[in-house]
Amino acid sequence: DSNGVEVKKFKRFESYKRDNQFPPKVKDMGIILDQKNATIVLPVMGRPVPFHINTIKNASKSDEGEWSFLRINFLSPGQGVGRKDDQPFEDASAHFVRSLTFRSTEGHRYTEIANQIANLKKDAVKKEQEKKDMED
Amino acid sequence: MAAIESFDNIHLDLSKENGKCRFAENGLGWKPAGGGEAFTLDSSNIGAAQWSRAARGYEVKILQRTSGVIQLDGFQQEDYERLSKIFKSWYSITLENKEHSLRGWNWGKAEFGKAELTFSVQNRPSFEIPYSEISNTNLAGRNEIAVEFAVNEDSRANGRNGAATSGKGKKASAGKDQLVEMRFYIPGTTTQKKAEGEDA
Repeated sequence: DSNGVEVKKFKRFESYKRDNQFPPKVKDMGIILDQKNATIVLPVMGRPVPFHINTIKNASKSDEGEWSFLRINFLSPGQGVGRKDDQPFEDASAHFVRSLTFRSTEGHRYTEIANQIANLKKDAVKKEQEKKDMED
Repeated sequence: MAAIESFDNIHLDLSKENGKCRFAENGLGWKPAGGGEAFTLDSSNIGAAQWSRAARGYEVKILQRTSGVIQLDGFQQEDYERLSKIFKSWYSITLENKEHSLRGWNWGKAEFGKAELTFSVQNRPSFEIPYSEISNTNLAGRNEIAVEFAVNEDSRANGRNGAATSGKGKKASAGKDQLVEMRFYIPGTTTQKKAEGEDA
């Protein structure tokens, strides 16, 4: 049964080990892409909160009047996407952050961030696939 | 220790403007650098205090006895010892060092405290949401909870209106990227049983 075996394969990943690894720009309390650490840092109530690219499903931008919205969707159970080894789905009691939505008046910046997230995600998936191919 | 301990370039509840934060035996105060209404907190209302890394330097978070959360950020790492002494000797309170999770995971545990919701990853807080910032919550789907934030409609100016600690939506809209909604996946016991049943 492939189901039972693959569940345990979750690979650990980590954005940062120490808080001095945050990009200095976090002080602006904006969304930051940290390519080097494959992480997106999001401002939540004055705190920089890292999310590794492996946790991200996608990002989408929309507009409403003068405001632009950036919605970041995370991988979570019940979406029918994502591989089982990306997350500890064996822990049935875990809570997940499923999405975060931000707004600003700088729509072009949100378009750019959405594109960058898509590219970072693509790179991460590609790297993971290459690793897998090497193992096989 | 001096009768007053003072710190510059401190922000109150993520205010755009910085100010001077002063501690004395009977409580603390904050005054915007450019002048304006001061905020004061009586020592009898200090329930607990936490020290942690914030976006702007380090943060002292005060959990009020009357519920509610005061955030003071912009401190330097080396201020910790001085502040820790202030809280200990004047308020008999331990300034608790809270290290946040830096793992970058989106799963953990959402826990409801007295004044805020804490999302923890491996028993370390990842972020907190004061209840005062929440404008609405609803069940968006099976096992999905949507939390909406009170964004300040004057937030383009990002100003702080007077003694705004009682106001809503100041913190979510403090930065250039304003948090408007957050969704959680919370497994329910019924669906868990169902899922197990499906697997069997």
